Amino acid sequence: MPGEIHGLLGKNGSGKSTLIKILSGFHRPDEGSLEVDGRAVPLPIPLGRSERIGLSFVHQNLALLPEATVLENLIAGDHERVNAWFVNWRAEAARALRLFEEHHLDLDPWARVEDLTPVQRAQLAIIRAADRVGSHNEHASPGLLVLDEPTPFLPIEDVRVLFAMLRRLKAAGVSIVFVSHDIDEVMEITDRATVLRDGHVIGSFTTGSTDRAQIVEAIVGRSLSQTRLVGGDPAGRASGVAVRALRAKVVAGIDLDVAPGEILGLTGLIGSGYDEIPYLLAGARPAEEGTLRLDGRDRSLRHFGPAEAIRSGIVLIPADRQRYGLALDLTLTENAMLPGAAGRGTLMRLDHRSRRSATADLMKRFVVKAQSPDQAGSELSGGNQQKLLLGKWLQLDPRLVLLDEPTQGIDVGARREIYDRLIESCGRGTSIICATSEFDQLEMIAHRVLVFERGRVKAELRGGEVTKSSIEAACYGETRVHAPV
Amino acid sequence: MRQSSLGYQVERFGLVLVWLAVIILFGAMRPDTFLSWSNFSSIFGSEAVLVIVTLGLIIPLTAGDFDLSIAQVLTFVSMLTAILSARMGLPLGYIIPIAIAAGALVGIVNGTIVLFFRVHSLIVTLGVGTFLHGITLWISDSQTISGVSRALMQYVIIHRTFGIPISFYYAVLLAAVIWYVLSYTAFGQQLLFTGRGREVGRLTGVAVGRVRMSAFVASGIMGAIAGILYTGTTGSANPNSGTTLLLPAFAAAFLGATCIKPGRFNAWGSVIAVYFLVTGINGLSVLGFRTYVHDLFYGGALVLAVMVSQLVSGRRERTL
Repeated sequence: MPGEIHGLLGKNGSGKSTLIKILSGFHRPDEGSLEVDGRAVPLPIPLGRSERIGLSFVHQNLALLPEATVLENLIAGDHERVNAWFVNWRAEAARALRLFEEHHLDLDPWARVEDLTPVQRAQLAIIRAADRVGSHNEHASPGLLVLDEPTPFLPIEDVRVLFAMLRRLKAAGVSIVFVSHDIDEVMEITDRATVLRDGHVIGSFTTGSTDRAQIVEAIVGRSLSQTRLVGGDPAGRASGVAVRALRAKVVAGIDLDVAPGEILGLTGLIGSGYDEIPYLLAGARPAEEGTLRLDGRDRSLRHFGPAEAIRSGIVLIPADRQRYGLALDLTLTENAMLPGAAGRGTLMRLDHRSRRSATADLMKRFVVKAQSPDQAGSELSGGNQQKLLLGKWLQLDPRLVLLDEPTQGIDVGARREIYDRLIESCGRGTSIICATSEFDQLEMIAHRVLVFERGRVKAELRGGEVTKSSIEAACYGETRVHAPV
Repeated sequence: MRQSSLGYQVERFGLVLVWLAVIILFGAMRPDTFLSWSNFSSIFGSEAVLVIVTLGLIIPLTAGDFDLSIAQVLTFVSMLTAILSARMGLPLGYIIPIAIAAGALVGIVNGTIVLFFRVHSLIVTLGVGTFLHGITLWISDSQTISGVSRALMQYVIIHRTFGIPISFYYAVLLAAVIWYVLSYTAFGQQLLFTGRGREVGRLTGVAVGRVRMSAFVASGIMGAIAGILYTGTTGSANPNSGTTLLLPAFAAAFLGATCIKPGRFNAWGSVIAVYFLVTGINGLSVLGFRTYVHDLFYGGALVLAVMVSQLVSGRRERTL
């Protein structure tokens, strides 16, 4: 619909990305037709022609060049308008300023993109897409913007800023397709939402008159309880891991204790430092100060490396799977069996058959859906990659598991499987520290939650206090505003 | 990887098939000269040096680093061997350890600069290689040095087993060692992760720096072995000998990564690629083409190999 914000929801693998790739001309559809502004568009769309017919895309990575200026990024690739042989930078800057002003954006055309805040970068990518589609469209309509998960790296305040921008675009007649995992965001910003599952449209909802549970049910196909999966209070029962006086670039004076079998949640707003803790405790990044006590031995976190952490039974499952978790072009076996091969450089023979069958077992135990252990990691969906990663580390029977956003970009069903595995390993006495910005996740699996602010622990919630709303309240203090900006 | 499918098997042995096709083609055109046993045994023997340089290259390449200095290590060590043997009359029992230590030392220098100063290996090894060439010209006074101990030639080229010079068997032996290390040892996995997922490896406890250093030292040693064999093959050392070997070795390394274990630098693939390339060159020169075909062939093969491997990986990405 013109001037509508339409949500597109669905699990990983439900067909969202395929749909987008067909729209951008990347994939050739088997059959079907497409109309834009009431005009039939022949499929497949030739690559790079989508702006002409009134479609423009903003992908999650935003496609900005960090070293270049805002202006350079804005006109990059705009061959239709910008003269290929001469760029009138003054005129372009003036045009950019007009554009920014029109949309109430506080962007400096000469600033470098890497110096922008994350939300400014998202704004730049969106305004660039809107500008292109508005000016190149053969039919001179405001066009359609497809935003593919533009928000996961933004803190909530910034999401609001972005939403305000989207509402202004909508008011200007631009149609927007908003693709997201975050049901709450979709509920808030969209007029209507369509849910995909297994490549089919399950239903369209007018978001104003639909409640969240209905949408969740449409996405998952069964309604999931959001009840707590953990109970009791293992803290203090026995000594587990103790961290004292941890200080690094973004955190200071952190003391924390995790008991065996306890899941400790860490959260806060973006920039509060909670998400640094897993990396510091795993020796992935050096701390300036601090000790970690495990099994009665103190280890200095200033000189702590991943190899030593793993030897002590401390494992890390990082948020950026694709970069730090798996080597995507190597096989599942190689990835899953790396811990066994990583120790000291040994020239002993590796038994490929047993490595492969151990991986197959692991894949069964952790419900990794894949054709064979010889597949490349890149061929797996995000959820299955994460489950493999979980298997890679939990097979070591670690003492302490450190997680950063363990379910980022993962659909609801796979999340539940991940939670189950974590809780299972807790039952065997593993301590778990989970840093996340998803409060409902903490409500489900955390025994205790520490809320961070400006690099320090601001509040501690335990047992029955661990609910989404009380965590929100602790994060935002009393001043939480839910109203749109 | 779909190890069972026919397509995959064709991909694995494609280069071998092309190699056989090239042999049949040239054999049909010049059956008496090209297809003679002496021609083949000389190809196998004299190109062992190139095989070893290629094998040396794939170790740092697997770990994600380039070693452009390896050809100059060869030249330098070749010259060093000739000088120690012809001018100073040292016995082989001293020369060989000294020569290998020199190669290892260059590897340590490369590794130290790359790791400690975080400079890209391409630049570092280009510079170190050129520097080394300067030393070679200096110590040899830009002259070819001959009069090397006959014992060395005996153990490299004169002695034959099944009619093929023994240097060929050295190359095969080294290929077997590298094949074993790359595919059957934990160190091989560490090299692989250092190259293809350095951060993943580091966070899983791989001593990434030490692995890269070992790779540079290994390629230095391989360069040194190739240098000793080079001197043994010709009985002399030429101060520009290695310069023409770098590109063929790179071509063979990348071409080798398209077969046997497609997508990965691998020892047997490298051996096959070297012999495929030199068979092509040999056949063309038997047909009467002059030396310019070397550059045409090697340069073309390098670019083609990289293109093919991109195509292969591109196809994998599209099947996502």
